Amino acid sequence: MARVGIPRGLLTYQYLPMWKTFLEALGAEVVISPPTTRQTLAEGVRRMVAETCLPVKVFCGHAVALAGQCDYLFIPSIKSVEPRVYNCSKFLGLPDMVRAVVPEAPPILEADIDVNQGRRALYRAIYSLARPLTWNPWRVREATRLAMEAHRRYVQGMVREKKTPLQALGFSPPEEEAPHRLMVAIVGHPYIVHDDFITHRLLPRLKGLGVRVLVPEMALEEEMARAMAKLDGKAYWTYEAEVVGAGAYYLDQEEVDGAIGVAAFGCGPDSLMVDLVKRYARERKRPFLALSLDEHSGEAGLLTRLEAFLDMIERKKRKCE
Amino acid sequence: MRVSFPHLGHLWVPVRALFTELGVDHVVPPLNTRRTLTLATKNSPEGLCLPFKLTLGNFIEACELGADTLVQAGGAGICRLGRYGRTQEYVLRDMGFQFQILTAGVSEKKLQGIMQLFKKISGGAPWGRIVSAVRFGLAKLNALDEIEKEVHRVRAREKVKGQASALFREATKAVDETGDYDSLKRRKQDYLEKLRAVPQDGEDPLLVGVMGEFYVVLEPFSNNDVEIELGKLGVEVRRDLFISEWTRFSLFLNPLGINEKRHLQQAAMPYLKRDVGGDGWESVGEKVLHARHFDGLVHLAPFTCMPEIIAQNILPSVKEDIPVLTLLCDEQTGKQGMLTRLEAFVDLLKRRRASRRQKVGVH
Repeated sequence: MARVGIPRGLLTYQYLPMWKTFLEALGAEVVISPPTTRQTLAEGVRRMVAETCLPVKVFCGHAVALAGQCDYLFIPSIKSVEPRVYNCSKFLGLPDMVRAVVPEAPPILEADIDVNQGRRALYRAIYSLARPLTWNPWRVREATRLAMEAHRRYVQGMVREKKTPLQALGFSPPEEEAPHRLMVAIVGHPYIVHDDFITHRLLPRLKGLGVRVLVPEMALEEEMARAMAKLDGKAYWTYEAEVVGAGAYYLDQEEVDGAIGVAAFGCGPDSLMVDLVKRYARERKRPFLALSLDEHSGEAGLLTRLEAFLDMIERKKRKCE
Repeated sequence: MRVSFPHLGHLWVPVRALFTELGVDHVVPPLNTRRTLTLATKNSPEGLCLPFKLTLGNFIEACELGADTLVQAGGAGICRLGRYGRTQEYVLRDMGFQFQILTAGVSEKKLQGIMQLFKKISGGAPWGRIVSAVRFGLAKLNALDEIEKEVHRVRAREKVKGQASALFREATKAVDETGDYDSLKRRKQDYLEKLRAVPQDGEDPLLVGVMGEFYVVLEPFSNNDVEIELGKLGVEVRRDLFISEWTRFSLFLNPLGINEKRHLQQAAMPYLKRDVGGDGWESVGEKVLHARHFDGLVHLAPFTCMPEIIAQNILPSVKEDIPVLTLLCDEQTGKQGMLTRLEAFVDLLKRRRASRRQKVGVH
């Protein structure tokens, strides 16, 4: 049985159930790299050019961790998943970058996923992904069907049960109903928001401070798209809705006390997206904190800013009452 | 309606010619200076790339001169460039300017989109007039690029440094002032001859390719005049990117299925298998392709440029052996720092060439 490694970074948070189901239906054993540690990041930082953004460095570290343990690495090049909306370059070049900086890596299962190339090209891409595991197109078709179903269940489950991806994936314990003094939305890409090492445990920390946290995955896709359209028209980036859409959506909700934008330093798309949300918050006079994270960001500084922000929201809330 | 547009090298000359031919009221923003950059950096969202900031600065200075229609490149699926227009609109509105922004699609519609844009700007001028105006603009562009290629050659060899650059400045002005094909041709010949007549020494200079991201390669202010500085160090600069080449291919020949970059992309294939937007793919290809006949490569990229970061990560794994100096361009880049690195790089190339010659001599 072939062992296929999936690095725990970037789009894995969005698509893990889909990918895992797909690969397992084709008879592969799936290995996921352990959560990010100092070692993971150090490995990524050492191998990549300094100005590479943090999540890509982390991803590279995960690929290194998997290198000796599997027969294949699963790193598709996802260019576009909706018509005429494209992804950041780094998602496209991901397999090539990993190949270049992790020479010891096993062969990479890569394929260009681009819905703008038409159905046939997409089918061919999916088939080429599966080719090292099976030659049988009917098996690939069945695996794809199961994978899409798993993905749908995963996405809907998070909205319905108000779960974070980590909880839905079973990586962290489910939420217990606890009294909270504030409700704060976190907007940002899941590979930053849900990586507790990168964010210095932002989510658990907020919970500890008595804050109920909302993340983009808990909102309906249509709601985010609607909010997005109101704020900025059509999305330009593939994962724009989870930042701009979620930001606008949550800032409009009365019961949400404020929002925190979490972005990686040097992230091209985020430099535009977080700015849009910041503008919107300013217009609507809603509390918004923009956090920019990189491998040097210190825990103490983050905590101070977080506490100041929460104090500010509380004061504002008291004043209104 | 007063139209304005951002700077990109000497692109302003042909664009001015085109607008004048069409009878469009327009204003050329002041050439890029420290002021342009400072104004833009102050008002732009942080974390954006240098091309965004400089073109924003051009728009600010154009608006100060009364421009009310701004033309910016756009399109889907390239890089942040597709989003420049919308973001610059927010920023300029916040600054209190009254204007409209028009985007020219560079990624999909190309020729058709650009022609329609000219139709709109000219208030519906007949197609014949638009076509002849575009032709004249292109003629100026080609003339300037032809002169610039000669300038690259002379700069490395001239006995008194700075003559070629001075002549090029003059030539730009002269080409800008011509109003018909005849005098354009005459002036081009004139300056080509003047350049050839510059006293030169017969040494065989180092050959360095300049490659990387389109904007920072073509806009000298953004790269701290790296080509002039290389010329001062006695290095001949070669580059594949010229605006005239770009327009010729992307507007006229690419739609016919002729892809001038195919050889670059093919060369990059073993290392980078797909287009990653911007010029990342081509940057990798240039290293592979030019390893044999160039002494070195200067790779220019704006700080945080997504496609070029991919290229930077991949370039060291390219087996073809040629030294590459990557220079990142942003508002923090100091010229002295760049000069030191250039000098060190040129020294390295000289030694490398000498040792190679020696090896050949032994055999």
